[in-house]
Amino acid sequence: MAGILMRRLTGALPILLIVSLLTFGLIHMIPGDPAVAIAGMSATPEQIANIRHNLGLDEPLLTQLVRWYANLLQGELGTSLLLGQPVLHVVAVRLPVTLALSAYALVLTLLIGLISGILAALRQNTWIDQVAMVFAMLGISLPNFYLGLLMIILFAVDLRWLPTGGYVPLTSDPLGWLATSTMPAISLALLLAGLLARITRSTMLEVLRQDYIRTARAKGLPERRVVLKHALANAMIPITTVVGIIVSLLLSGSVVTETLFSIPGIGQLLTQAVLNRDYPMVQGGLLMTTALLVLVNIGVDVCYALLDPRVRYERG
Amino acid sequence: MRPGLAATFGALATILTAAGAARAEPFKCPHIGGDLVFAQEANINTLDQMTSSTISTRNIAMNIYEALMTRDENNHPILELAEAMTEAPDHLTYTFKLRQGIKFHNGKPMTSADVVASFDRYAKVGNQRSTLDNVASWDAPDASTFVIHMKKVQPTFIEALSSFSVPIVIIPAENRDVPAQQLTNPIGTGPFQLVESVPGSFVKLKRYDDYKPNTTFQERTGFGGYKQACLDTVTFRIVTEPGARVAGLKTGELQAVEDIPAKSATDLKTDKNVVILPLKNWWIQIANPNTSAPPTDNPLIRKAIQAALDMDEVMDAASDGNYQLNVGFQYPNQPDYTDAGKETYNQHNAAVAKKYLTEANYQGEPVVLLTNKDYPSMYNSALVMQQQLQAVGINAQMKVVDWPTSVQMWLNSPQGWNFHFTGWGTQPALGALATMQFLVEPNASYKPKDGKDDPDVLAAWNDMNTQLTEQGRQEAFARMQKLVLERVYAIPFGSYTKLQAVRSNVNGFVPFRIPRMANVWLTH
Repeated sequence: MAGILMRRLTGALPILLIVSLLTFGLIHMIPGDPAVAIAGMSATPEQIANIRHNLGLDEPLLTQLVRWYANLLQGELGTSLLLGQPVLHVVAVRLPVTLALSAYALVLTLLIGLISGILAALRQNTWIDQVAMVFAMLGISLPNFYLGLLMIILFAVDLRWLPTGGYVPLTSDPLGWLATSTMPAISLALLLAGLLARITRSTMLEVLRQDYIRTARAKGLPERRVVLKHALANAMIPITTVVGIIVSLLLSGSVVTETLFSIPGIGQLLTQAVLNRDYPMVQGGLLMTTALLVLVNIGVDVCYALLDPRVRYERG
Repeated sequence: MRPGLAATFGALATILTAAGAARAEPFKCPHIGGDLVFAQEANINTLDQMTSSTISTRNIAMNIYEALMTRDENNHPILELAEAMTEAPDHLTYTFKLRQGIKFHNGKPMTSADVVASFDRYAKVGNQRSTLDNVASWDAPDASTFVIHMKKVQPTFIEALSSFSVPIVIIPAENRDVPAQQLTNPIGTGPFQLVESVPGSFVKLKRYDDYKPNTTFQERTGFGGYKQACLDTVTFRIVTEPGARVAGLKTGELQAVEDIPAKSATDLKTDKNVVILPLKNWWIQIANPNTSAPPTDNPLIRKAIQAALDMDEVMDAASDGNYQLNVGFQYPNQPDYTDAGKETYNQHNAAVAKKYLTEANYQGEPVVLLTNKDYPSMYNSALVMQQQLQAVGINAQMKVVDWPTSVQMWLNSPQGWNFHFTGWGTQPALGALATMQFLVEPNASYKPKDGKDDPDVLAAWNDMNTQLTEQGRQEAFARMQKLVLERVYAIPFGSYTKLQAVRSNVNGFVPFRIPRMANVWLTH
């Protein structure tokens, strides 16, 4: 296990280096610069030029790249051009928001996706299967934005059960957090649960047709034991892969959901940074997000090893 | 009081004091307390007012900061942190006597040393530091006096000094050397002080209990006047999605919103808990031609384009029906407004357009309309203009990029586009001088060939800046506007109206260039 971890962590370093270089190159290739965003709509060219000078944007690109890597070696990710705050600090403030919302959405996704997928497989071609798959398709097909707006109209404007938007940190008011995070978490979860339900159903159907399941049933094992211990355990490898992708999607932040519900998460931060050409924020934010996603993938690999002894023996 | 009044009347000295004859009772909060949540449509980048010209920053920061001078409700210069200003007979020195008893939000009394430090910082990092180009020096002979020494006579200096575009706000002297964009803990003298700022989420202000109102006024006026904080706190919540702003207003989570979609206005008008407040003349929708690139380097082609346009159609699409037609570069309610050049505006005359095209020997060269979707009004106006140009036989093509790209192309690319779509909001509100700077180098929006101004336009601009009488400067502005319109160096379509809204329990909120939170109170 330790060997797997070490190999994965070592392999992550070149990935981070390549991502940082690509990010730097791509963001500087896009026309436009942060001075325009800072200056605002009615700014004169003189005002824009002053901002460019203040921010050091008139320096050669190579100088900016070398300075960025020099800062990175000292553990600095630079200062956001727009916010005037260290990138590390801004990400540290935004990341817990995304993490908390992601965890909430993930719990809902797993509950809805796994249960409906397993039920659909066990009751294949019955009304339960059809209802579950229709909802799964709806979840996948309905635009996130539209679903969010419908929920705002129903739960916030008409029923007045939940606030229309805003964010309360979990640490300062757990109930307030629950109120502000429920609609965003549901709108995220319905999309992802649809995906998970379909994968779970097809994997379970495949496993349930295996000889060892037939043998287990022939031995007279209770159906619950057959399903949970023999079928689900063997179906978990592909399901874990999908869950890993879902976690990655959630951690990258959902721009649409965050924008609609005014949640100050990492997705909105990075999108704004790209749109406003906030170079340090894009470079630093994406580097940290990439590192996080690499960790998630390592976690998925560890899960493979825990779930399937063959993975341990083959790689150990 | 108009700038350069001393010069106008040849007086030995002018003493500018705050307007308003003493009245028995200044404004008094009918109710004190409560939290007002204001939904702001754009993210805020910084609260460092000296280094930002964005509306989102100004919306909040101008409730925190104050300046020596500012503008009143009609955009006339007025005193704010100064109680008197004296212009020397030679017009080369301006002496400000500061109001007494003003304290910063950190409790420190404001003195002329703070004013000196603020001017020092502005000269170094201020976005509009060219305001001080003609200033030789400034000093503080005593704790309550601040003196500005000019290099040469500038009749328009007070107009520039009182600008709210990037105002020279007064900050504590200890912040003199804070780099640009780094002033993360804003400390001013205004009626509200910062509690917390969470980028991308909200900015919370609270009433500054030691605020000293300007007693030479009785009411709030423009950015200044007699201000009182009636609310306990004001939360500026960033709600970028229009649908969410409308929903929040309906439920009462939001008490005021910066901008509601015109399509929602009909529904909101039937809600007795909501009051819609149109903010007329928010910006002038405009297209800037590229006179360095063919075919718009040909004045006849530009005249053909101008003749083809139906401004009603363009503005209707741009604003969902919330607009006013107006000629030129000032809003119709402004003192500088002139309709000089009106014969060029809203012609909608296909025959004249085709005549100019024939004279120009137009062969179907593409006319590229450079626009963006970040501001739907710009995109929509370009779309309608494209249709109208195609209707008279002009090969109009759209180039749609994002806003920063379109600005960069406008600034740096001499080819590849023929019209750049934008909006002029703050500058027209500041007056003719601030607006017409967009039409001369180094800011010339029409991209004159080789960067050389049209000499006639430049001469009119110089007169706008140097004429000693107000009448002389106004005549110069009218002349410049007429020239610009006749030579099609800009195509102003009309004035855009922004729709703001408040809950019916919000009182005293009057739409202006910023959401002014002083003299606003809540009732139950």
